Amino acid sequence: MTDVSITHFTFHYPKSDVKVLNDINLTFHSNHFSLLSGPSGSGKSTLLYFIAGLYPRFIGLDATGTIKFGDTDIKQVPRDQVSKTVAMMFQNPNQQFAMDTVIHEMTFVLENLRIEPAKMDNIITHALTFCGIGNLRSRVINTLSGGEKQRVALACIVAMDPPVIVLDEPFASIDPDSRLDLLHKLKVLQTEHGKTIIIADHDLADYQSLIDEFYYLDPKSHQISLLDAPSAQKFFEHFKSTQTINKRVPLPSTSDPAILNIRDFKLNPHHSILLKLDNFNFYKGKMTLITGANGIGKSTLFNALTKLLAYQGTISYDGKNIQKIRPLNYAKNVTLLFQDAENQFLNITVKEELDLSLANKFTEAYSAEDVQGMLQALDLTGRDNQVVYSLSEGQKKKLQIVEMLIMNPPVLLLDEPFKGLDYQSLQVIVGFLNDAKNKFGQTQIAISHQLSGLEALIDYHANFKNQNLTYQEVVK
Amino acid sequence: MNPGLKLLLVMLIALEISFTQSLIVNVILIAVSLIYILLHRISFKALFALVFWPLFPALGLFVSQWLYGDAGIHFAWILFTRIYAYVFLGATFTLTSSITDLALTLEQDFRLPSKFAYGVLAAFNLMPKITEEIKIIKTSALMRGEALHFWSPELYFKAILSSIQWSQNLAEAMTSHGFVEDQDRTHYKIIKITTLDWALLIVLFAAVQAMLYFIRY
Repeated sequence: MTDVSITHFTFHYPKSDVKVLNDINLTFHSNHFSLLSGPSGSGKSTLLYFIAGLYPRFIGLDATGTIKFGDTDIKQVPRDQVSKTVAMMFQNPNQQFAMDTVIHEMTFVLENLRIEPAKMDNIITHALTFCGIGNLRSRVINTLSGGEKQRVALACIVAMDPPVIVLDEPFASIDPDSRLDLLHKLKVLQTEHGKTIIIADHDLADYQSLIDEFYYLDPKSHQISLLDAPSAQKFFEHFKSTQTINKRVPLPSTSDPAILNIRDFKLNPHHSILLKLDNFNFYKGKMTLITGANGIGKSTLFNALTKLLAYQGTISYDGKNIQKIRPLNYAKNVTLLFQDAENQFLNITVKEELDLSLANKFTEAYSAEDVQGMLQALDLTGRDNQVVYSLSEGQKKKLQIVEMLIMNPPVLLLDEPFKGLDYQSLQVIVGFLNDAKNKFGQTQIAISHQLSGLEALIDYHANFKNQNLTYQEVVK
Repeated sequence: MNPGLKLLLVMLIALEISFTQSLIVNVILIAVSLIYILLHRISFKALFALVFWPLFPALGLFVSQWLYGDAGIHFAWILFTRIYAYVFLGATFTLTSSITDLALTLEQDFRLPSKFAYGVLAAFNLMPKITEEIKIIKTSALMRGEALHFWSPELYFKAILSSIQWSQNLAEAMTSHGFVEDQDRTHYKIIKITTLDWALLIVLFAAVQAMLYFIRY
């Protein structure tokens, strides 16, 4: 029996007063399914990396306190034994494989564990069958979808067969069917194979009936508490309530001028169809919200709209096929606010970033004074010389939104623009976006899971489901 | 033939023809390489690329030597064929050998530390992602009103930043998949260098020596 017990565990970055993890004391019980929740960026990953024995090695900073598996401190476990104790599944499906094909990756894993070659075929076949992906055995990993990659990652863990499995937001970019399927596989691993499951997730859907314990990392105290049943219930209900807002929006009328038209359109990046549209319009000067489950292709649609990804069919901007518009000219008209703020940055300091936007802005909509006002409203002033990559995730997001508003493109695509923002900043930004739309006629198309707080912004709502995009009156 | 030895042979011959001047040997090397890769049924597109892209440097060398050099047209032809000999020799390796097998043989037979063998392999498997990333960096810059070209420092700054992040993630992933530097591993696929491999290496290399000795034109 191996409980994972954590005592007086404290971690903070040098030169920072804030403790990422502040005197954590808790025990993840053996053979239990534990959920660790908390806002993104609150330190859940950091704790899991320490439990998995990857930190302090890969971060170069140690924490105080201990993490024990049974009676053994994880630091005392010899390096070649760590994988026999605990395995980890990562958030990004693209960066957890070293080899080209599924079978090569799985043999690589077993070779590392010094399994006899004669036994490997059986172990691999069993692990792939368990995960329901026997048919992917010889596939090249790069050609798999996010959901398939995470199943391969789980198959590797099943083959390794460690008593403790740690998962860091493993479903952030995979479709709901894969998510539910993987969650049930984890439950089977717990109940029938005696595994201890520790999973970090801020999306609470589907967990209620599966978990034994619900831990919450409070972003203010930086401490983790075990929730009793009523408080856990409250969290689940609160989560559900943020997933819906009570708002009805009109359907687009036939007289609305279209700005982006999509025709005879097919999107199939992984040899399976994500989206098929015969004729679809986005409308000028309106804010259209796109909703839909994770991993079904919403961001992929944005990649097609910005010519980052090949597609079949025709997309026209203002009546002109976008493939016939010169890249710089098109990028100035249809601009994407990337989900990952770092993708937007080109320079090093905050001031350089803002200056670049001010120098290259497409219109004169925002003056330097306006920008100072925006920074003030978002509590971003006085950071001129700070390196953008050292900002917190929330600050990066705010800076990114300000610099893209300054550019003031006619069409702004926003991919999860409110991720990791506190509610007050969200309201300020909703105000900015409304100004851009009302004063400068900007067309906005947003993908967002965060719905509460957006009531004042949404004009139209399009739901992405069953490889189709349809306008709906109800937003949920 | 064992991919490690094949690579060694190709590099030895390529090095040697850099210092020798035989037009006919160059042509023979190109012909033999061509037959070898045709036997492996490569795509027409790949073959076209092999012929087409080297044409520019090869013609450039040819013309400058022919018109402005002192050594005459024979030497110009040697330079021209030498470029193609390099390309086709290289293709006998790159088009017909698996990079995974090369890593395996380097680890098992050439005693290369496994972290290099698998590190290089992992980086190689990241190539398509790198192409994608460059595209994202360029598009994102366009959206900020900046056109980045292959000489723009911002492009490299962002690309290096991403690679550092990726290499870190990859190292973590390999570690969590049980990989430990300098530790013995078992091997599912044993790649041995056979006597036949050595014999082929020696015979082919000797044949090239003989040709270079006897064919001086």
